[in-house]
Amino acid sequence: MAELLKVKALTKSYQQKNFWLKKTTITVLEPISFSIQAHKTLALIGETGSGKSTLAKILVGAETATSGSIYLNGQVLQKNSYKQRCQHIRMIFQDSGTTLNPSLTILQLLDEPLKLNTPFNEKKRKEIIRSTLQKVGLLGDHMNFYPHMFSGGQKQRISLARAIILQPQVIILDEALASLDPSLRSQMINLLLDLQQQMGLAYLLISHNLGIIRHFSDDIMVLSQGKVVESGKTLEVMSNPQHKVTQKLLMNQNFQLKPKNK
Amino acid sequence: MNLLDIRNLSIELVNGDKNILAVDKVSLSMKEGEVRGLVGESGSGKSLLAQAIVGVLDDKWHVHADRFHWRGIDLLRLSIAERKALLSRDIAMIFQEPMACLDPTTTIGEQLSEAIDSKSLTGFFWQKQQQQRHSAATKLLHKVGIKNHSVCLKSYPHQLTEALCQRVMIAIALARRPILLIADEPTATMESTNQNQIFRLLSSLNQLKNMSILLISHDLENITHWTKTITVMYSGQFVEAGTTEQIFNKPLHPYTRALVDSNPSANFHLPAKSRLMTLPGSIPILQHLPIGCRLGPRCPRAQQACVKSPTVTNFHGHKVSCHFPLTPMKVSHKVTKRVS
Repeated sequence: MAELLKVKALTKSYQQKNFWLKKTTITVLEPISFSIQAHKTLALIGETGSGKSTLAKILVGAETATSGSIYLNGQVLQKNSYKQRCQHIRMIFQDSGTTLNPSLTILQLLDEPLKLNTPFNEKKRKEIIRSTLQKVGLLGDHMNFYPHMFSGGQKQRISLARAIILQPQVIILDEALASLDPSLRSQMINLLLDLQQQMGLAYLLISHNLGIIRHFSDDIMVLSQGKVVESGKTLEVMSNPQHKVTQKLLMNQNFQLKPKNK
Repeated sequence: MNLLDIRNLSIELVNGDKNILAVDKVSLSMKEGEVRGLVGESGSGKSLLAQAIVGVLDDKWHVHADRFHWRGIDLLRLSIAERKALLSRDIAMIFQEPMACLDPTTTIGEQLSEAIDSKSLTGFFWQKQQQQRHSAATKLLHKVGIKNHSVCLKSYPHQLTEALCQRVMIAIALARRPILLIADEPTATMESTNQNQIFRLLSSLNQLKNMSILLISHDLENITHWTKTITVMYSGQFVEAGTTEQIFNKPLHPYTRALVDSNPSANFHLPAKSRLMTLPGSIPILQHLPIGCRLGPRCPRAQQACVKSPTVTNFHGHKVSCHFPLTPMKVSHKVTKRVS
């Protein structure tokens, strides 16, 4: 299968001015290369400060990479081509309660990306919003509600609706499942998996919960201080971790799993 | 004798003309030296229950209980001042976000020495009491596993990591040598490495000092390794209580079953990317609680009888509050009799 998203030697470093003429560079991401296919999920794990979120921000266009290139369907994504980027790569954030504008209705919230990116008229846009809301398990009439009228799980569904409304190809989930209650989280996982099958989405999943990663992802990449220390098929990496960092992360999770085997 | 014995505790929110029953007849009992988990999703009233035990709820909330015993003393008969004196001596609580709970404008050392009981100091105030306080604070830090005490005592909360702050919180809680420690989601915003550190510290305190711990969490999987017994709550109602093995391996209540099944890391036999078992719908909000069993609208086994609140049934110490529990012992007894 053709590669949907391909990243080649992406780096990111910040320059810090310390003294007069003396600059120190802080490298957040060492040269990093990977690719995601349609219908597949790539999971990213690592400790805080390992560069997971920076990578996600670069992919979605919130930050610019220092060097390296990103290919989408074989084409290079230009650094300033936000139009192309925001149509194809979308992101869901951790806390859906604060990422939805409380002063706008759901209709206005979901209308914004359509207005900016599509040539459709108002009637057609409303139709799309209605069908998208139904796709994520809400009612079309919910579009006149304000975000505070929804519960946490429903808000996360609205964030998902905002992500898929432009028919993207890649969705980045930055800890999007962490703040949900367990029973709502499994609903959300089911929904995401269904949408992946229907729309052929590729996910980049950033999470701490290895249980979810094992269930959800096909490939895994372990980051530590900006470097990829281990990557491969999720099941292989998890059953036979090679690098110290991976072993440590897995061991922490195994601690929590033990009562099952007792 | 039970350390803490609460029977049918209800917490009501007085809101104008309408009262909302936020916690509906929850029973909780703890033995000496026990680590009990209190599990519930958001809005299940687990934090409210903890706050009611400590007695820090304000006038908006009305607390009723049929029985509220602390080490054999009936707390309902004591006056408020006596109850507060007793509970503040014996119970300590730590909270979810340690960074937010510590005072950002004073150093850790000052906050710690403030927590030290002045009755434990000897001599008059001119006789080196400051030094005693300082050494007591240092000892407390050593107890929670902070070796570098001199740096820690001088620093402000923002200069420490979150796990260290939580350790300091535990140290402050330990200052009066409590018998029961209530930990309200102590690791909610932490990384898994730090989570394990804190849990390990809590369990070592339990084993070495025989301190009972009530561990509150929203996630069943996080705490199963550290608890002996678990109480599950849903939307302000008691669901199920039993030992960790009972809850995890043989849940009787459909809700507990769903909690265990919805947990991808607990089900290694599940093929990857298959659908997880879930309950439909979402958690009801406080203004629109269903009558009777509050799980009713979401429950796969709900029947007409569920519009009435179920009573608690006890199967050999495994308590469940459901009209139609999943594998009741009574039925299985009948089956075995027929076979024999």
